[in-house]
Amino acid sequence: MESFFLRYRNLLVLLAILLAQIIGLAVQVRRADNGRSTLDPGDAAGVRLIRLWADAVVTPPEKFFHGSKLGAVSLWQNYMDLRHVREQNQDLQKTIDRLRLEQAALLEDAKQGARLQTLMDFQQKYIYKTLAAQAIGSSGSDSSRVFYIDKGKNYGLESDMAVITADGIVGKVREVYPRTAQVLAVNDQTSGAGVILETTRIRGILRGNANGRLQIVGILADQRIQPGEKVLTAGGDQIFPRGLPVGVVEKVVPDPERDSFIDVIVKPAAHLDRLDEVLVITSTEPRFSDEQQQDMATSEAQKGAEAAAVKEQQKASQIMAERLPGLADPNAPADQQPYKDVAPPPTISATPQPLHPDRFTPGATSTPSAEPESGAPAAKPSKPAPKPEQPGRNP
Amino acid sequence: MAVLGADNRRELGIRRFPMLVYALTPLVALVLQAWLPRLLLGYAWFDLPLVITVYFALVRRDPVQGMLMGSTMGLFEDALTHHAIGVNGIAKTVVGFLAGSVGVRIDVENHTIRLMLVFLLSLLSSVLYLFVYRVLLGLELDWKWLAEMMKALGSTAIAAALFPLLDRTQLRD
Repeated sequence: MESFFLRYRNLLVLLAILLAQIIGLAVQVRRADNGRSTLDPGDAAGVRLIRLWADAVVTPPEKFFHGSKLGAVSLWQNYMDLRHVREQNQDLQKTIDRLRLEQAALLEDAKQGARLQTLMDFQQKYIYKTLAAQAIGSSGSDSSRVFYIDKGKNYGLESDMAVITADGIVGKVREVYPRTAQVLAVNDQTSGAGVILETTRIRGILRGNANGRLQIVGILADQRIQPGEKVLTAGGDQIFPRGLPVGVVEKVVPDPERDSFIDVIVKPAAHLDRLDEVLVITSTEPRFSDEQQQDMATSEAQKGAEAAAVKEQQKASQIMAERLPGLADPNAPADQQPYKDVAPPPTISATPQPLHPDRFTPGATSTPSAEPESGAPAAKPSKPAPKPEQPGRNP
Repeated sequence: MAVLGADNRRELGIRRFPMLVYALTPLVALVLQAWLPRLLLGYAWFDLPLVITVYFALVRRDPVQGMLMGSTMGLFEDALTHHAIGVNGIAKTVVGFLAGSVGVRIDVENHTIRLMLVFLLSLLSSVLYLFVYRVLLGLELDWKWLAEMMKALGSTAIAAALFPLLDRTQLRD
């Protein structure tokens, strides 16, 4: 018996190790309702512990390598950048001023949109708070397009938080460790995101293929989908807020498995292969930041001042029109008068009766001896008054 | 190919290395495997953990050590992905076993033989990975054989440069 174990020691060890790993694999896989196998979405405690160990072993040297690379690169880039930094700074300042004005105007629209959506009881999420993080490593495998960032639970990260760059969406946080987090990129085969085509408003599910390219699957053949059309997040997946850029349509190919369906190949907006800094959306709340509120207040103040100035200008024009006789044609109809007041003219209920009517009093007869209608005694003028040049026109 | 009898194993001797090499080499391989793909922008066609596994299994001429090295490296690789832990582990366990078994029987001093072994075992590792993933687990996974071939070639090229360097670190009696 002893010789058997000694003789087949290597094979027995091999079988034992393989058996242990197969059992471990069986624990991680679940049979879905449709008969297909799927990975358990939530790692078991033991599996998570192994991932945690691997992360603890590999991540610190990765951070060291990454930091060394950044140090060397930034040393050179800083020198190169400083050569033209003054001119760039001035240009950027101008751009910032212009963008602030544009942002204030856009926020007005956004605010109005939010009000309308509230009226429609639509739960729109806005990006409220983001956290910048550095991509420090990857899985090292083409079949698993995940990467690691240098922020974790200590910074408030949680699973299923969206990860983006300024260019577009990148992925979602899959696993969170104390100091790092694993991000599943959108071009992985197991990833998924709800997207919408900007012009045609066709919705679909975005996923990656074996080549690491993005494709929208499950779309009926549609001639309207053309290369170059922008793809945005649809907001229905509870991960990515609505309206974030995803990419542009690169080409449309027939679905190899289903007739009358197509796959839309998408060129990603974010550079998924060369990620350095990413933003993790840590909070999406239907509200504006303090800075945005300030911008809106500034915009409203500017708008109010502008409206007051326009009103003053209109009032001055009206006064001028009334005082300049040449600007008004008495024979022209009322609607063709220049500087006409759009408001209806004030109606005079009754002509006020003078206390001492004379011959110039409207409605009195031309003879000074005529008796007034009211029966009041006619007053004699103390001195002759000049005749008006244009009767019926009051200065 | 110089095929040796089991008795010649003692004559050839088993190479020994400083503990630092045993500890650091696999760690550096794992770290570089995770870090370099970010720099190479999708052209990271190599498998450093496999190269290290094959090397130590060959020069130690012990299938058990090769298996332990391969399973450890594979499990660590799996743990860094979002896939099930054990797929790479199984593939590299078999690779370590075969490399250690072959190391007993052939002349591992021959550089060409070692490189051929790296190439073949890299392809075998890919086949085993796909087998376990698709057949054993029944999971869906698209596969690119051209990329696997490139990976095998890349691993062989790295082995061509790395093996002589590692040979220099061995302890001499």
